[in-house]
Amino acid sequence: MTEFAENAKATAPVVECRGVQRIYQQDSVPVYALRGADLTIHAGEFVSLAGPSGSGKSTLLNVIGGLDAFDAGSVSVGGVDLAALTPAQLAQTRLHNVGFVFQAYNLIPVLSARENVEFILQLQGVASQERRSRAEQALHSLGLAELGDRRPGELSGGQQQRVAIARAIVTEPVLLLADEPTANLDSKTTSELLAVLRDLNQQQGMTIVTATHDPIVMEYTSRQVTMLDGEIRQDGGVAA
Amino acid sequence: MDTLVLLFNLSLRNIVRYRRRNFFLFAAIAVAVGGTTLSNALIRGWQVDMLETAVSALTGHIKLQAPGFADDPGLDKAFAADPDIQLGGSVALAGVALRINLPAVISSERETRGVALVGINPAQEGISFYRDFVFEGQALTGSADGRLVIGKALAETLQTRVGRRVVVIVEDADGKSRERGYRIAGVFDAPIQWPEELLVFTGLQAMQQSLANSRLPTPVTEVSLVLQEEENRQLVQRELASKHPELVVTDWRQMSPQIAEIVDIVDATMAIWFVMIMGALTFGLVNTLIAAVMQRTQELGMLRALGMSDRLLLTQVVLESVGIMVVGVVFGLVLGVAMVFGLGDGIDLSSFSESVEAFGMSTLLRPVLNLEDLFLFGGLSVLLGLLASYFPARRALKISPLMAMNR
Ligand SMILES: Nc1ncnc2c1ncn2[C@@H]1O[C@H](COP(=O)(O)OP(=O)(O)O)[C@@H](O)[C@H]1O
Ligand SMILES: [Mg+2]
Repeated sequence: MTEFAENAKATAPVVECRGVQRIYQQDSVPVYALRGADLTIHAGEFVSLAGPSGSGKSTLLNVIGGLDAFDAGSVSVGGVDLAALTPAQLAQTRLHNVGFVFQAYNLIPVLSARENVEFILQLQGVASQERRSRAEQALHSLGLAELGDRRPGELSGGQQQRVAIARAIVTEPVLLLADEPTANLDSKTTSELLAVLRDLNQQQGMTIVTATHDPIVMEYTSRQVTMLDGEIRQDGGVAA
Repeated sequence: MDTLVLLFNLSLRNIVRYRRRNFFLFAAIAVAVGGTTLSNALIRGWQVDMLETAVSALTGHIKLQAPGFADDPGLDKAFAADPDIQLGGSVALAGVALRINLPAVISSERETRGVALVGINPAQEGISFYRDFVFEGQALTGSADGRLVIGKALAETLQTRVGRRVVVIVEDADGKSRERGYRIAGVFDAPIQWPEELLVFTGLQAMQQSLANSRLPTPVTEVSLVLQEEENRQLVQRELASKHPELVVTDWRQMSPQIAEIVDIVDATMAIWFVMIMGALTFGLVNTLIAAVMQRTQELGMLRALGMSDRLLLTQVVLESVGIMVVGVVFGLVLGVAMVFGLGDGIDLSSFSESVEAFGMSTLLRPVLNLEDLFLFGGLSVLLGLLASYFPARRALKISPLMAMNR
């Protein structure tokens, strides 16, 4: 664990989930996606959520990111209780506090890489000059300085995911959520992307949670959490 | 503002991105708008032509007569054209004609017919169909010309011709019939039939002098006005009525109520036609736009996941739909105007000549472009685009951010 993360533990956690349940009704049969998940994440941690397909990884990430509702328990992000927020307030929270990297469809196809990164700043109402320079800087830090004018269709899968990371961090969120960010990448590109995330965590102290079923991801993260049947099974070396 | 520019940009690029699908949409809108523009220009042309025909039938846009003259015409209801009739102030006139118009009986050696004897100043008749008459023999040389011109059809009925004499009987101001011989200076061929049968013309001044019993030095029975802009009709009518309380001021709508009715029906028909065509088109637009939204479910879900507000998402969908409509409408208007110019002098209807004349039309249908119409169609189309975007926008709002996920 980095020095940064050690210090951060003293302060309030970035994410605090207590007994979170999420029950989907499928053809009026209840599906328990989360059955009382407890998870606390502190600033500066790089957490991997592992577990078999259907174990509830995505659901947990979506609940934390304010994309999905939950049926019981409590979730707070950056000290804000998500249960108390309206959909519009949730959207504001996502826009300002959380960075997202999805498996696919991260980018707006008709905008260039730079415009994609600037876009989210524009949604935040950042002035055009500041937008420009922050977007350039984010692209530069991910080694994309040369590719800013290309549209997503003109970029490789790995490059697209790096643009998505640039967009996710340009707003300086308290938390970066990445759901299977490497699922569509070959192993070499996967390693490169994970290295990028690790650098981001170690050099800038970005708090990152990534869901994955790929064991190689765990070699890069500072804390490994494993899920099974909608519950946290193992946290770090310790069985939950 | 900044954000609006971004959304506009985004919409424009999305339109270009799906250019193949949108091309067909543009084409459909353009053909509909272009076709409507053309057909409306032709209908407007017909309308203008009908109005022109009505106005040129010695009515004018506005006519002044003595009270009771319309029901019981006679020289006893003549009035003085001097001092000059006070004309409608600042409103521009196309022309004014003073006339004596009396019921008369005309006889040749062989036949007798009832007609209207009209005393005119030929120089003032640029505003009536008199200007279009084609003469055999001579036209009237001026207001002092005491000869007669009669229609070709009447000449045939009376079995007379240029140079012969005829006798015309009119009732003088004292109520007594006066008989007078005229030499036929010319025989005219009119663009429509009835004036040839029912109207005979002589010089106004000559007629005023021959009616020795009149109590007025220069009597007339009507003053006919044609305005530069027909829309000023009511304004001028009111003005004249207040300046000449002793006269009756009527407009062409009162004089030709059937034609006024047809003109109004044509307006309504055009509106209905437009709404029907564009309405049908809007259904197509709604369909395509909904398909466009569904096709981009994941992309729109991603935008929501990032935290784009409902308002911005809606604006984006609406801008796209209005954008498609605007482009289509602009193409359509250009197409329509080009087709109108392509028609140039109009469509020759002379093969239907008989039935067409019966409708009070001339045989050449000239399209008339009305700028107001173009703006109205353009504006209404964009409005429809706005309405059409309601359904896809509603659909877009139902997209949950979770739909960006990799399921
Ligand atoms: N929208 C949904 N409707 C019904 N069931 C769902 C929905 N989303 C997830 N589930 C179910 O919830 C469980 C957990 O899913 P998920 O969180 O996607 O697992 P993971 O990401 O670990 O593969 C699965 O059984 C899945 O079928
Ligand atoms: Mg998943």
